[in-house]
Amino acid sequence: MNRLHPLSAVSYAVRYGFLWLSLSLFLVGALASISELLSGRWVPVAAVGGLAFGIGYGIAYYYRFGYRITDDTFDVASGVVARRSREIPYGRIQNVDIRQGVFQRLVGLAVVSIETAGGQSTEAALNFVSEAEATRLQNEIRRRTADGKRKAHSDAERDDSRVEDQEFIGPLPASEFDSDTPSSEHAGIGPGPGAGDRIHDRSPTEFEEPERKRLFDLEARELLLYSFTSFRPAAVAAVLFIFFFMTDTIIEYLLAIAQPLGGPADIETGTAGSYGILTIVSLVNGIIVTYLLSVAYAFGTYYGFQLGRIDDDFVYERGLLQRYSGSIPTGKVQSVTVTANPAQRLIGYAGLWVETAGYGPSSDSGSQSAVPLAERGRVYGFTERLTGVETPRFERPPPVARRRYLVRYSLVAAGLVAVAVGVTTVTILERWYLAGVVFAAVPVAAHLRYVNLGHYVGEEHLVVRRGFWKRRTTIIPYYRLQTANTRRSIFQRRLGIASVVVDTASSQSFSDAAPTIYDIELETAREVHATSRRRLQSALSERSQDDDLSLDVDFTDPDSSGP
Amino acid sequence: MESLHPRIRLLWIVQGVIYAVILGLVLLAVDRWALNVPTVALAGVVFGVFVLGGLYAVRLYQVWKFELQSDALYLERGVITFVETAVPFVRVQHVDTQFGPVERLLGLSSVVVYTAGSRNADVRIPGLPPERARDLQDTLRELAVESEADDAV
Repeated sequence: MNRLHPLSAVSYAVRYGFLWLSLSLFLVGALASISELLSGRWVPVAAVGGLAFGIGYGIAYYYRFGYRITDDTFDVASGVVARRSREIPYGRIQNVDIRQGVFQRLVGLAVVSIETAGGQSTEAALNFVSEAEATRLQNEIRRRTADGKRKAHSDAERDDSRVEDQEFIGPLPASEFDSDTPSSEHAGIGPGPGAGDRIHDRSPTEFEEPERKRLFDLEARELLLYSFTSFRPAAVAAVLFIFFFMTDTIIEYLLAIAQPLGGPADIETGTAGSYGILTIVSLVNGIIVTYLLSVAYAFGTYYGFQLGRIDDDFVYERGLLQRYSGSIPTGKVQSVTVTANPAQRLIGYAGLWVETAGYGPSSDSGSQSAVPLAERGRVYGFTERLTGVETPRFERPPPVARRRYLVRYSLVAAGLVAVAVGVTTVTILERWYLAGVVFAAVPVAAHLRYVNLGHYVGEEHLVVRRGFWKRRTTIIPYYRLQTANTRRSIFQRRLGIASVVVDTASSQSFSDAAPTIYDIELETAREVHATSRRRLQSALSERSQDDDLSLDVDFTDPDSSGP
Repeated sequence: MESLHPRIRLLWIVQGVIYAVILGLVLLAVDRWALNVPTVALAGVVFGVFVLGGLYAVRLYQVWKFELQSDALYLERGVITFVETAVPFVRVQHVDTQFGPVERLLGLSSVVVYTAGSRNADVRIPGLPPERARDLQDTLRELAVESEADDAV
């Protein structure tokens, strides 16, 4: 069994020391206040005792924590009193992530997390190992995973797969993922000559020194564009948090800048007009600060982003202050999604995400950014090489769907007006009918929702597009299908339409629901449902004949290998 | 297509009664501590929920159908939203039979099929006679093993 880096003993000692210090102080305080047995004199004793116990526990934890790489499994044993020993088979590992905070980078430490599809949290977290050990673990696990896979298919010759692969590598047609993109944009993105020949001709010994191929580097321009065009909801939480802790200072500041514009002299005295100005000034300030925080956060998160490939794994790196690096086996990719918000669509850019069944290092979903932002044409070309999907020709839902959204959004607008009426009855505001303006947005909203919907039933993939604010185009290989659902609410039944939910094993968060084809004609929906099922079966039987089960396509993008 | 056991209606009606009773208690509490609720209205609402619950139970029983098809377990269900689900056998992770206290009283069992999916990941077939439930569990397990895929997550 290997131990963690000795400095983690210090870290655990400090952590548990503080924990037990505060716990014992709290206990003594609570007991002293309810009984006469304990008095304030015991506080120093409790403090020293708690601290000593915590430090001891932390050090014991370090000595009782061990990990080991065996031939078939990665083993972790932990626990001071209650012991847990865990064995994770290499074939079940979804991704291996390395995380380094600012302080950890200074002293050369890293946190290694190993994710599998089961469970609600990280299966093995090594706090901390040295940087070199982290990289060694990542490489070692990758090598053993690949070895295991090769052993399992050693009967079959790899020559077959090579022929198979080349079908995907040929020059691909210019892609057109959405109908409003002129296809000329994407010309000249095909893979360079011989791009696919490299990884298939290797002998097993070459695994010893993994060769890293660069697939994508985020350039400075792209990083800036991404930071400025994306929005992180976390920024809202951060602003609220700051406001909560510095309420007085912030209110003073807002008053100070609102005053020259006609704001109230202080928070207690003011007219309706001056309060209105203060509100507007505060809102504008809040929005600007939130936006700037979001920009800074996105910049810090994706600074120095690189995507590469080693053998059958994707590897990525990113982060300005906190560094992340991870590896995702290509065979574990469940679906890929192209995202673009309105601002990014305007400048012709898009991002690419891959979903696995594990949990990402920075989010609770298994969604990992493969390309944060790049020109749309490059992203589409890359996606097509990655999945082998043909250029989709999207079908839209019938126009009756748009009527449905019109009704739905009208109801929302009516609700807002009702709220406005309610507000006027309890405040000094009077003109509730001004809220009727929201009805003007209804047709626009309904139309935008409608035009962004689309689906394409491909040979091997189902492509689903939806959303205006964050348009997501998800490419689902049929062989990743878990369940297929056709749903019809009473309203949909009246209009003869249905929604198809295609579930995969990717662990999505609540905000990103399973890919759904909304409001298509019932007949089409049934067809999609049946086709998906049929193609799942044919894909499975093909794959069981094939020796290689991973998504073994070469998708080196010569354009993105940097300057 | 196979239907559920008719006695499942009783279970759903009991559930409706429970909802009606809870609603009645809430209204009573409102009447006692907040607004004045006329007794007629209270009784009317509780009775209305009870009747709706009964109709819902009957209708749900009528639409609830399932079938073992060549490649997948296929289910149809839903009163408000009608859902057709196909669970390919190859995606079945494990199969449970379960029964709650009321189901046990009525002599019924449920079969729960788990997949690795993120939404609709567990599919429940309620209201089966215990021997049918066990039978279905065995069949599903065999079919799942037979069609085992190599690309487990």
